[in-house]
Amino acid sequence: MSTINLEINGMEIVAEQGLTILDVAKRAEIHIPTLCAVKDKNSEVPCGLCVVAIDGMDEPVRSCVALAKDGMKIQTDTADLKKVRQEKLALISSTHFGDCKAPCNLTCPGQINVQGYIAHISKGQYEEALRLVMERNPLPFSVGRVCPRFCETRCRRILVDEPVSINHLKRFVADWCMLNNVDLKIPREKLTGKRVAVIGGGPTGLTTAFYLARKGHNVTIFEANPKLGGMLRYGLPDYKIPRDVLDFEMNMILRMGISVRLSQKWGIDFTLQDLKDQGYDAIMLATGAGIDKPLEIPGGRLPQVLSAANFLKDVAVGKKRDYGHRAAVIGGNNIAMEVARSLLRQNVDEVTIIYPRSQEEMPANQRIIREAEKEGVQFLLMYSPVQICESDGTNASACKPGDAGLTVELVRMKLGEPDARGNRQPEAIPGTSNIIHVDTLVSSLGQMACYEGFKGGKLEEAIEITPKNTIKASPRDFTTSILGVYAAGDAVNGTRTVIQSVVAARRAAENIHAQIMDVDKAPADNRFNFTRGKSFDQVNLSNFDGINIKLREKMPERPPETCTQDFDEVKLGFNEQMARREAERCLECGCSAFDSCDLKRLDIEYNVNINKTGMGVKPVYQKDNSHPVIRVDLNKCIFCQTCMNSCEYDALEVTAARVDDNGTAQGLKLSFNDKCVNCGKCAESCTTGALQKKAAYVPIVHEEVKEVRTTCPYCGAGCQLIFKVKGNTIMEVCGAEEHLAPNYGALCVKGRFAHDFVGHKNRLKKPLVRRNGQLVETTWEDALEIVARNLFDLKAMYGPDSISGFSCARASNEENFLMQKFMRTVIGTNNIEHCARL
Amino acid sequence: MASLALTFGSGAMTNSIADSKKTDLFFMVGSNPDTSHPTIGLRVHQAVDRGAKLIVVDPRKTKLAERADLWLRINPGTDVALLNSMMHVILEEDLWDKKFVEDRTEDFDEMERVAKKYPPEMVEKITGLPADQIRQAARMYAAPGRHATFHGMGITHYVTGTDRVKSIANLAMLCGKVGVEGGGCNPLRGQNNVQGACDVGALFNSLPGYGSLDNVDLFAKYEKLWNVKLPRRPGKPATEVWDNVMTGDIRGLYIFGEDPAVADPNISHVQSALEKADFVVVQDIFLTKTAEMADVVLPAACYAEKDGTFTCTERRVQRIRKAVDPPGEAKPDWQIFCNLSKKMGYDMNYSSAEEIFEEIRLLLPQYAGITYKRLDIQGLQWPVPNEDHPGTAVLHTESFTRGRGLFIPEDYMPPVELADDEYPMQFTTGRDLARYNFSSMTGKTREIDDISPECFAEVNPEDAERLGIKEKDTLRLTSRRGSVTLRATITDRSQPGTIFATYNHIESLVNLLTLDALDRLSRTPEYKLCAIKVAVVDPI
Repeated sequence: MSTINLEINGMEIVAEQGLTILDVAKRAEIHIPTLCAVKDKNSEVPCGLCVVAIDGMDEPVRSCVALAKDGMKIQTDTADLKKVRQEKLALISSTHFGDCKAPCNLTCPGQINVQGYIAHISKGQYEEALRLVMERNPLPFSVGRVCPRFCETRCRRILVDEPVSINHLKRFVADWCMLNNVDLKIPREKLTGKRVAVIGGGPTGLTTAFYLARKGHNVTIFEANPKLGGMLRYGLPDYKIPRDVLDFEMNMILRMGISVRLSQKWGIDFTLQDLKDQGYDAIMLATGAGIDKPLEIPGGRLPQVLSAANFLKDVAVGKKRDYGHRAAVIGGNNIAMEVARSLLRQNVDEVTIIYPRSQEEMPANQRIIREAEKEGVQFLLMYSPVQICESDGTNASACKPGDAGLTVELVRMKLGEPDARGNRQPEAIPGTSNIIHVDTLVSSLGQMACYEGFKGGKLEEAIEITPKNTIKASPRDFTTSILGVYAAGDAVNGTRTVIQSVVAARRAAENIHAQIMDVDKAPADNRFNFTRGKSFDQVNLSNFDGINIKLREKMPERPPETCTQDFDEVKLGFNEQMARREAERCLECGCSAFDSCDLKRLDIEYNVNINKTGMGVKPVYQKDNSHPVIRVDLNKCIFCQTCMNSCEYDALEVTAARVDDNGTAQGLKLSFNDKCVNCGKCAESCTTGALQKKAAYVPIVHEEVKEVRTTCPYCGAGCQLIFKVKGNTIMEVCGAEEHLAPNYGALCVKGRFAHDFVGHKNRLKKPLVRRNGQLVETTWEDALEIVARNLFDLKAMYGPDSISGFSCARASNEENFLMQKFMRTVIGTNNIEHCARL
Repeated sequence: MASLALTFGSGAMTNSIADSKKTDLFFMVGSNPDTSHPTIGLRVHQAVDRGAKLIVVDPRKTKLAERADLWLRINPGTDVALLNSMMHVILEEDLWDKKFVEDRTEDFDEMERVAKKYPPEMVEKITGLPADQIRQAARMYAAPGRHATFHGMGITHYVTGTDRVKSIANLAMLCGKVGVEGGGCNPLRGQNNVQGACDVGALFNSLPGYGSLDNVDLFAKYEKLWNVKLPRRPGKPATEVWDNVMTGDIRGLYIFGEDPAVADPNISHVQSALEKADFVVVQDIFLTKTAEMADVVLPAACYAEKDGTFTCTERRVQRIRKAVDPPGEAKPDWQIFCNLSKKMGYDMNYSSAEEIFEEIRLLLPQYAGITYKRLDIQGLQWPVPNEDHPGTAVLHTESFTRGRGLFIPEDYMPPVELADDEYPMQFTTGRDLARYNFSSMTGKTREIDDISPECFAEVNPEDAERLGIKEKDTLRLTSRRGSVTLRATITDRSQPGTIFATYNHIESLVNLLTLDALDRLSRTPEYKLCAIKVAVVDPI
């Protein structure tokens, strides 16, 4: 073999003669991008990304065809080459039409891989679905019950019929795991020895603690109340989140190894200085926004006038109190709705919500308003309270004696002229007063983190707060004005949804981790995204050709007449069949090749802006599901022909009818011929998501995937394969590296696809013994005891040769070895055989 | 494997799969790797693409048969006659490798004596092959070059299975085709770890590493290491167990990962035996038919849930690695054995699969140089005598494992059950590409069901015409042992007079038909051939 000497990027290389520059570079571990080179073949319309600059040549040359020659000086990564590649990529990308991430995923404040967990549900992998949710949201039980469902508002299924009931599905997997007592075994990283104190055991505190504990930190939660949960427990009534569900959720989080100190009131039982003195490396303020804005009108401090937070807490702890027959709630936020509904459940006959604007303008979620309305809550709109007095009439002249405890004077409101921002503030209409009589009045005017700052010590007093009485913290890294003290969630933002607290807390945890470990923060998810249309009106309806209308599953719920009689849960949850049916409604917008797409990877690497360079706007090709193991979406095809060129059976062909003036292939056709053995290698080689394995439809977005090389369990060929494992599930099986004997990357249909039995529901999970003619479950101890006793007895009565063992040609060497050892040593017979001949 | 162990001294594939790149001629006997060993089939096709010659001996018209330079559509079960006759031609025409025979083999005269009895003109009547074809095959195989034989279960699944393998070995030695890259005798093992299960001694007639039951020194070594007196009496092969249960000689069964209630030939006999046994424990991943009849069922982890090694058909020891947790309380089989042994008073104390492997390599000279660490890079082909040894791609290059290769000639014996007036058709079985054994594993994947929803009885057009069978008719096939119902497909892949079906669909248990007659040496059942009668019936 003769060799040549050349130079690539200044590195001297000795190479075999007759190789292309691309091959030489590859062997020298110099990366040259390409989308179409497969061994010595490439596309009829070459991608042109593998261009390199050679000294003495004017134009860049394609390294996949140019042979390496002695004395060449080659550059692979100059600014000019980058520009050429960027232009090529922009051109290729303009023919690629699809979504990288699904709109639900993009819309979720938590950026949860929604399509992923729905796909797991449709496969019956509920445990894995929940594990996927918990990657980004450790409160699936609560969020699954109270989330306002941002995701569902962008679900593309709306363009067909109705959105997928995403949140009910999330709740289903959480409840299923609770019912089946599943331990998710979420792994915890190696212990770091760092200690973090989290003040507040609500959604923000719990989430921070969960993700910091997962990173291996030693976390202690300090909670002022006797139980964990914060507003989930003391702000949301039982009929929204039952207590046993909440307890289960808390325990699941604590399983991460988190310490909890209950009934510890910050500023009274301990101070920040105490925590610093105890050596905590960081302190997180997650105290929420639990202080109601006061009702600042005359009579606002009467004993029958309650604040929403105090009222809900009393309800939550089961404090008995007579609220009378009639009650009013001031305010139109979500909390006001729960106050009203709780009042109905406290034997109050008539509950009225008073709000100065119209119903549409209420800050509460419209769905929750409807729920309150359905249960009989009344609305007095365009009114605002002016003063309150006890009904004996002592306080104010307007008040007349009546049969109720409180007299509330109201004034009618109208919307004023738009202000500079265009908002129309309500204004009182003079001379329009009105009066209602109630026994109890609860005000819910919004909540604050503190009332004029924090107390308890010097550090507490030094915490900078905002004019809205929340803690001032950096939106970038969650630091407060005090070194080593962080804050997030409602304490910073005011009242938000649970999922928003979760997101803030998770990000805060990432920052705390980075700062206490002195490492860089993990980079944020790249925003690069191919899309079939950002908003509904950009999405071409031909995307949905052939999809039949199938309305969403109805959530079973108790009728309002009975559900207001107690605090039991109103919505009963999907059963398994409903969840499976609902999951199958998912249109799978996001690409299941998300984690493996070469085009996207290169577009990001070369900073291609597809918004400027253009991308497809509507589908050109029909999706084709006729192949037994592969689905084809030519809208994503970039005509690299890698599928065809990697097929060792010569079993498929991709052709283009023509190449347009820009140099892009048009009129694509892909066909399989009868040489196809369904091995699936083409899909594995696809550089985009044009060819995908039908079974691998769970998109892996940013989750950690473990690759495990193993040996195929089928025929005797001993093929090496790779499991892609996420959590406790084999997501996909791929051929091992092409240099590896005995199969050199090839697999058959069984090797690549027939592994579903591993996670099959019919797997044996417990030992069984025959009792009264039936096989029944038992413990290992019992089962082994019975086996041992029976084998002993037979041996004693009839000798060791009365027992015969069948070993297993599918099990491992180690196990066959032990089986024969067992028969020869423990039993004392050579009656040992296996099915070598079957 | 038993035969190659006798003739060469090692019962395993002599060469490597990668050797196919160098092979000049493939002599495929009773093996259809396209469906049974697909990735090996691919390499054979690629070799033929590049110009390698191909001889296929198969009653079925397989894909390789269609591409073969010479396709010998032989009467089922008559391979020994063909092989002997080829040797007859090679001796007669003086085509044999005298130097190889002289330097490296013994008992040539015996072989010569037997081969002489099989002139092609006589064998033509047995095999149904024209004498010219036999001569041509002999000349092609004996010609100079790297010539490899491949055989599969189409050879071994007969009462005369070992005779056939010996005859193949005789032919290879006669022509000096063993011990060279690209040549050799290559049995393709049906299951992932048949080779390994044999290697580590899950055999009734030998200790691990094929140690003989009369090797006193070996017993001393084992008894010292295991600290127990070991039994010398040979055991009973699995396929004889059922008769012994019926006679009361065997009363307890420990069935590990096997499903004889559907897998064995003549399964109704097996099912009665399972009912009769005093105590049956089954250790498996699913509640199989056999497990349903057990007294105790122990839930096991599957290959993806545990560490260990498999040894594939080319003697390559490779790792399996734990990727996921087993379901519920299921445990890796090795842990179950350890726990049960402890319960029965014998301490098997291993904390990992690797620890067991360390004991294996202490006892098996073939495995001595293999460690888990080395296997992390790549599997190794035994023998690997020490940790610096790279493994052995080709066996018997200098001398045979047993020293000299032994010619063990065998006379042709007709199949046990030939077609007769009552059962006029022959029936034979094979594997479906997309399926494996009885589909307890492959049957759980939706795509597999889509590709291969049912098994068909493949009927030759001539027979179809004669018997009035149309495409997709429902047939009842009946043998002396039982009957099955399945739909017909008309194809010339089947030889006239023979019906073929795959055995992988649990709904169509073709082993209800097959024979449990056993091979004399290895006790392998005659799965591949029996006599049946055929009737068209109303669809089920």
